[in-house]
Amino acid sequence: MRSRVTSTHRVAKFTLLLAAGALVAPTTAQAQFPTEPPTAGALRPLPFPEVQQVKLRNGLTLLVVENHRLPILSIRISMRAGSRDDPAGMEGLASMVGELMTKGTPRRTADQIAAEIEGVGGSLSAGAGADFFSVFTTVLSENAELAFDLMSDVLLNATYPEEELELARTRTLSALQVEKSDPGSLAGRYFQKALYGDHPYGRQPTEESTTALTRDAVRSWASAHLKPEGSLLVLAGDITMAEARRLAERYLGGWRGATPNVRYASPPPPRPTAITLVHRPGSAQSNIRVGNLATRPIGDGTYYAVEVANKVLGGGADARLFMILREDKGWTYGAYSGVPTRKDGGYFQATAEVRTPVTDSALVELLRQIRRVRTEVIPDSEMTAAKGYLVGSYPLDIQTPQQIASQVASAILLDRGIDFVRTYGQKVDAVTATQAMAAARRVLRPDSAVVVVVGDGQALYDKLRAIAPVSIIDVEGKALAVADLTPKATALALDLDQLVSRRDSFAMIVQGNEMGSAVQEVVREGRDVTITQTMSLAVMGVRQEMQATLAVSPIVMRTLDQSMEFGGRRAETHLVYADGRVTGSAQTPQPTGEVQTTEVDSEVLAGVLDDNTVQALLPAFPLAEGAEFTVNVFRAGEGSVAPLTFTVVGVEDVTVPAGTFTVFRVEVTGGQLPATFYVTRDAPRRVVKFAPTGQPVSMELAK
Amino acid sequence: MMRRIGYAALAAAALAVAPPTLAGQTAYEMYTLPNGLRVILAEDHSAAVVAVSVWYNVGSANERMGRSGFAHLFEHMMFQGSANVGKGEHMQLIERAGGDMNGTTNEDRTSYFEIVPSNRMNLALWLEADRMRSLAVTDANFENQRETVKEERRLRVDNQPYAKAFTDGLTQPFDSATCFGYSHTVIGSMEDLDAAKTEDVQRFFDLYYAPNNATLVVAGDFQPAGAKRLIEEYFGDIPRGNDPEGVSCALTYGTFGKTVVVEDQLANLPAVIVMYPIPPHRAADTRPLSLLGTILGGGESSRLNISMVREAKTALQAGAGSQSRRDHGLLLTFAIANQGAHPDTLEAQLRAEVAKLADGGVTEEELRKAKNNFRSGQVFSRQTAFGMAEALQHFAHFHDSIDEIDTDLDGYMAVTMDDIKRVARTYLTRENSHTIVVVPQSTGGDR
Repeated sequence: MRSRVTSTHRVAKFTLLLAAGALVAPTTAQAQFPTEPPTAGALRPLPFPEVQQVKLRNGLTLLVVENHRLPILSIRISMRAGSRDDPAGMEGLASMVGELMTKGTPRRTADQIAAEIEGVGGSLSAGAGADFFSVFTTVLSENAELAFDLMSDVLLNATYPEEELELARTRTLSALQVEKSDPGSLAGRYFQKALYGDHPYGRQPTEESTTALTRDAVRSWASAHLKPEGSLLVLAGDITMAEARRLAERYLGGWRGATPNVRYASPPPPRPTAITLVHRPGSAQSNIRVGNLATRPIGDGTYYAVEVANKVLGGGADARLFMILREDKGWTYGAYSGVPTRKDGGYFQATAEVRTPVTDSALVELLRQIRRVRTEVIPDSEMTAAKGYLVGSYPLDIQTPQQIASQVASAILLDRGIDFVRTYGQKVDAVTATQAMAAARRVLRPDSAVVVVVGDGQALYDKLRAIAPVSIIDVEGKALAVADLTPKATALALDLDQLVSRRDSFAMIVQGNEMGSAVQEVVREGRDVTITQTMSLAVMGVRQEMQATLAVSPIVMRTLDQSMEFGGRRAETHLVYADGRVTGSAQTPQPTGEVQTTEVDSEVLAGVLDDNTVQALLPAFPLAEGAEFTVNVFRAGEGSVAPLTFTVVGVEDVTVPAGTFTVFRVEVTGGQLPATFYVTRDAPRRVVKFAPTGQPVSMELAK
Repeated sequence: MMRRIGYAALAAAALAVAPPTLAGQTAYEMYTLPNGLRVILAEDHSAAVVAVSVWYNVGSANERMGRSGFAHLFEHMMFQGSANVGKGEHMQLIERAGGDMNGTTNEDRTSYFEIVPSNRMNLALWLEADRMRSLAVTDANFENQRETVKEERRLRVDNQPYAKAFTDGLTQPFDSATCFGYSHTVIGSMEDLDAAKTEDVQRFFDLYYAPNNATLVVAGDFQPAGAKRLIEEYFGDIPRGNDPEGVSCALTYGTFGKTVVVEDQLANLPAVIVMYPIPPHRAADTRPLSLLGTILGGGESSRLNISMVREAKTALQAGAGSQSRRDHGLLLTFAIANQGAHPDTLEAQLRAEVAKLADGGVTEEELRKAKNNFRSGQVFSRQTAFGMAEALQHFAHFHDSIDEIDTDLDGYMAVTMDDIKRVARTYLTRENSHTIVVVPQSTGGDR
């Protein structure tokens, strides 16, 4: 009966109604199937279970949310100390405490802790946020005793082993290096700094502060800050108050003391809108953040009204910022806003990542949309969509004991009161368009906003200056003058004695395993140099071939041809350098697996090298202990020239499959990822190892 | 030594206090509408959330030769609009309600779900009813989704190293004459999809997407009277279809023993998969086989990981697991070679670990850990309305009685060390194994 091919919805429906009538009509009087989606019924008050609360003798507040539907128990201990309590110069300390807490106690090694919790199918972790430090575990309720034993053991007796600290420090340092090449991380870092100034929320871990961490500092931070008085022990799930109390007394009864009460430096007062431009030379994209300090009290309803206003402005893929900046203008992949809460004062921020040429237009549009939500009453359709989402998604966030424990802890720690979790939906639903606008006017401050833009300063400075006063810094946070934005054409003198015809074989090492190989060949005939490189990386199915031609003394790039196969796809790049320009096309694989094609036609100054030739030419660069120099390279994927900075940080011995060599350790920054090259000190120099920072990958000389 | 004693003592203590079942009985109500739609309601007011789940009793196993890939293609078609819902509108309506939704296809069934705040149950039911009664099977939608499916195959299978061995490879033990259903992949053949006409798709819809071939589960925070009224209003007048024929899958254990070499141009290291046909999901041996899979190759402390990855260092990765289905399933063991390890070595090591199970069995501690893992996994998976809906669907489709939702776990907890040894000896034999050796294409002649 439904087998007729129907080409429109209307015909299909008509056929169906006939069919339905024929079959069912004789017995039941059917109501017609509604052609419009049904409307939402009223939201009943959330069935949030009763929260029982008792203060233990040591000042720890025990909160129990009983739910015996399933034998699951989620436990969370939250203390009122976090990274805001990192001593100046030791930023990252609280996070380190969290990372090391589960890595050993006098009774258990790190492996044993992991094996015990896995043996019962549960989980255990610890971590620091800006304001609070928490230890969490979720287990079947029959394992409550084991969970308390493990949690109290790590919280009270963690040994913070030196070797685990060193491992964690290495990971953190690598992550910090990688962050410097990530515009989003840079924007976040300098935005917080501009917003909070000397307040601890404005301070961030650095290489220096990470290097300064010691085991003693980790231990004494933990013993000074992780105290029961004022802290919360939240149990949600299959447990009674009596049992919870017994376990808490038994395992945490001997825990004593109070978390110190600290007054923090005040953040800077509001100032007229100003822009911090973080100069990232050659950047093809800009990362923009606009915002201001913002508290939104619960009591007078501001909190809920701001929720709605923010959702309309930038709270998702059908909010204004996304629809206008991405869908209408096509400037960006995403644009969002948010109002993060902090115990000592939160903030509002709007963010967008856009192409360099439209950076100023995007910033103007962000500011315009922020003003609009403050001055125009939000139309009903947008109010309904925003509230529908906020009210509707909240119940999905409080389904499990883990989710409930987390919501209860936040409500109390952030002084929202326990009723917050019960009434959130009704309060949001009651917000009117006028209230949303009024709250936005109080909380969003586009005229005294902090603006951070990470991008190519040379391309952006003049355009941004037309919007608001601009101060410039580099990615390390060092102040720059306008003149510093112009790339200096450093005429790099190559040491031609070091540039000899040669063929090197490399092993590609991934996580300690040899997973592929590479061969690099340099052929030099007088001034002419040809570089050929092939690389294949096992398991990932990656193969790459590259050939570059150039002349030396002086450097004149000629051609670059590259092809790459990855996962059955192919990306090719063909460039010709001539008459002060580079032309051609470049394909680069994207993280999504897609291939992005860029048509290249750019001006390049004399002496600029193609990015791909650096490794082969490095032996001929002016290497010496302590040397630092800059080389301008063209990066086809970004379609722009950027300076790479080379620093010879020391001389050391390094062992690779081909043997042990005395090398210059050369660190390179300014590329896609920071990296380290190891180049033999003695002539003729060779690169024996290359390792991008923070990646489990290296390329090592095999023969 | 001290540490070992401490750990064992604690383990014994945990064993002593462990009650072996889930708490309580699962409350649900099941009935069938006159048009054949099976309805299961499971009320639970612990969160203001309702999960609506519709399983159509059709998977790739129901496809006929020359028409493979239809079940999965349909999963795509179901989001392309129906009489009262425009293209893409399903997703938008659910998102604006604060909810979540998706669909999945496997060999035995096709599933669709919405997770919504409880006051939007009506929206989820209406959306499911609209597409069950009036899916827009148009040339344009069909053409468009056929291309999307091809792209999906290209991304997920053709362009991932080892993916062909793990998808196409798992169909090899099944004979297309006696078990066509499992002898082809879920995503199907692109030639079959190309040859398909819109009429074929409409026929498939009429046969399998009729209410008498579907099960609707509503779980969570709702009042049964209201839910029943809406279900009657939205689904009651959808006409019953013809009853689809069942499919059969015949297979004789112990008649395998073949090795197939697969060249993979994306892989640069060899890999070995040894698979063993196992009984249908409802068979009692499913339980010991599942626990065996965990002990052999589930996680860091599993036997294969310790012996091949950590100790012998011959494998970059090694694991095992059982995949039971409505009809015959498979237990897989696999290893990806470390640089320099020959596939023959990997295969010998995989078989040696399996032989150890058959000869020496497992320890009490290993069995306890595997049971704990299974049990906590079961409990954690039923925390949410959606988890409960999927569990009910599972038991309604793959067990003799949906009431086994409360007793199945007892069966797992009752598995003994002897059971594990017995199933290892019964199913994990050389004659009952099918081996796939993946060799990087450039060195394909080595073996």
